[in-house]
Amino acid sequence: MSDDASLAELRETLAADGGLEEAQVRLLASADLLSLGVLADEARRRRHGQQATFVRVAEVAVDASAVETPGRAREIRVTGVPASVDAAETAVRAVAGQGVPVTGFALHDLMGLANGHAAEFARLLRVLGDAGLVAVSELTVDRTVDPESAVAVVADAGLAVSRLTIQDARGDSRLEWVRTVAGWSFPPKAVRAFAPLPRAESGATPESEPATGYDDVRQVALSRLLVDNIDSIQVDWALHGPKLAQVALTFGADDIDGVPAVDTDELGPRRTSVEDVRRNIRAASFTPVERDGGFESVTR
Amino acid sequence: MSTSSPAVDALARKVRDGGRLSRSEALTLYTEAPTHLLGRLADEVRAARHPSGVVTYIIDRNVNYTNICVAQCNFCAFYRPVGAADGYVLGFDELFRKIDDTIAVGGEQLLLQGGHNPDLPLEWYEDLFRAIKARYPAFRLHALSPPEVIHLSRLAQVEVPVVIERLMAAGLDSIPGGGAEVLVDRVRRELNCLSKATADEWLDVMRHAHRAGLRTTVTMMYGTVERPDERIEHLMRVRELQDETGGFTAFISWSFQPSHTERGGAEATGVEYLRTLALARLVLDNVDNLQASWVTQGGKVGQLGLSFGANDMGSVMIEENVVRAAGAAFCMDELEIVRNIENAGFIPRRRNMHYELLGDPIVWERDVPRMTALAEARAVGDASVPEELVRYRARTPTGKRQRAPR
Repeated sequence: MSDDASLAELRETLAADGGLEEAQVRLLASADLLSLGVLADEARRRRHGQQATFVRVAEVAVDASAVETPGRAREIRVTGVPASVDAAETAVRAVAGQGVPVTGFALHDLMGLANGHAAEFARLLRVLGDAGLVAVSELTVDRTVDPESAVAVVADAGLAVSRLTIQDARGDSRLEWVRTVAGWSFPPKAVRAFAPLPRAESGATPESEPATGYDDVRQVALSRLLVDNIDSIQVDWALHGPKLAQVALTFGADDIDGVPAVDTDELGPRRTSVEDVRRNIRAASFTPVERDGGFESVTR
Repeated sequence: MSTSSPAVDALARKVRDGGRLSRSEALTLYTEAPTHLLGRLADEVRAARHPSGVVTYIIDRNVNYTNICVAQCNFCAFYRPVGAADGYVLGFDELFRKIDDTIAVGGEQLLLQGGHNPDLPLEWYEDLFRAIKARYPAFRLHALSPPEVIHLSRLAQVEVPVVIERLMAAGLDSIPGGGAEVLVDRVRRELNCLSKATADEWLDVMRHAHRAGLRTTVTMMYGTVERPDERIEHLMRVRELQDETGGFTAFISWSFQPSHTERGGAEATGVEYLRTLALARLVLDNVDNLQASWVTQGGKVGQLGLSFGANDMGSVMIEENVVRAAGAAFCMDELEIVRNIENAGFIPRRRNMHYELLGDPIVWERDVPRMTALAEARAVGDASVPEELVRYRARTPTGKRQRAPR
């Protein structure tokens, strides 16, 4: 797609917020990396300007016996599969009330706790909301039955879904998931971010080739260009590493998740995680803005 | 692609028209051009210079024959002082075994570099090279960066051209461009590496090597104390010498790896790497080949370098010690390099140090055992001293004690 006319036409369509025709989507999917990057960067700047957000997360295991959360955390995230509704509620109550938004759980695990009963699922969400949960941490698109309906139930309970994730997708299925997500409808602000890079460690088995840098930034760029219904495209600092996370910012991502709440200061303040994040964002020509688990900017 | 800067747009047009960038123009592009524009321009220049769509790589082994070094550069985590318990010198037989392993996976060259060890005289190198060439006549020796050549010149008290002549007579095939760091003396002074080679001295070694008929590479290690204009200065000095001799086959840049070094600090970012690589492609209009440094940037950003001006994925390496000592331990075997090249839309081809194409990937022809980690020079705790060292005169008391008859 170095073809200037095609590029200009696509750019106009995207800038006008118009829907892409099938042929245009195919053109995008086959575009050279830099053309795709330019379009994604423009789309990203139309939504978020110069800002790139990040969040410092303290993860707390749902079955942790002692709970101590770092003071610098801007999101407390309850992780793991709760054994029961009571266990989930207890874990949330143990960390709530510290002035830091509490998120937790994967949506399909909560649906499992409700044994698939819609009413029970809605009740569970209200219990967790009352306990202090502000959002379900993630909705794993390839593990959740009927994600659109599930998000609607979450929204009805007064909660949000922090991000949609893909657990395991390779080859063409990576783009298919992006297109699937792009086709869903959600209530406003019910889903805050889409993290399009599969979370499973690819290359773990001989038959599963690891994703390449091209694969990853292309996935990020296509997500920004196709997924109009979710505001943020997210990458994970800890999971993907600083270099890929930073480069992804120039290919359409605008939010960095998973910044550790505990700084590793053994090499001095310049090496602490939060300083590294800010430095990387600035070096990518964006302005770093810290946010909390509720996707609100942190000014203090 | 136009930007909001008329100056940047004009420079983009100049590059596309084949114009040569001045220092100030290069600095403007480096500091003001959007990352995608820099990449686009570098990619266009790369495509014009290498229209076949081939991306090359070499199968060789990166061996460090000694870690004992008196230079004491403050950015290096690899060196050990004379007398250190974990200082080592590899024996000839150890090196032969490494060559055997390299040949077994299709390799045809050793990249041989090491510390400035005062107890290894020039004769040791000559004997080593002769011994290697006697056993492996077709095997290539890409060996001894300019600071090592200068060190040997001082040690043997002979001029640099003589050192080069003697090493060539013993079997040296080409010289790697290590130890360049940033070719600005202010920077080298702060890195405590001015005494190992000033910028002029480093370039002079390469000038002599090129005049003697050797081809060499050239590197830049950025991300320490240098300013953007000093990175440009480095590129300009390389371009000037290349105009004069035409002897550089390739340019390789990488970011300072700070872990475990005296200098410490933070590593330059991935975007900075891609911008620096792209700028090098634009400034070095007389250097054919630019390598992507996956060993410092990781496979993903290394591969992305192919869209930012690189036309070569460097070496399979097999072994690496210097960057690993500073905290980076990435590994790509031939299969992985080939997969990354194809995934980026290019055609993978093996090459030699002169960038002559050797053929298709070995892994297309036969099964090669997978390599999931790069080897180290020696097993941890191996403090053995090679037998042949007793034949060479040591300069330090430690070296003399080691070589005294027992």
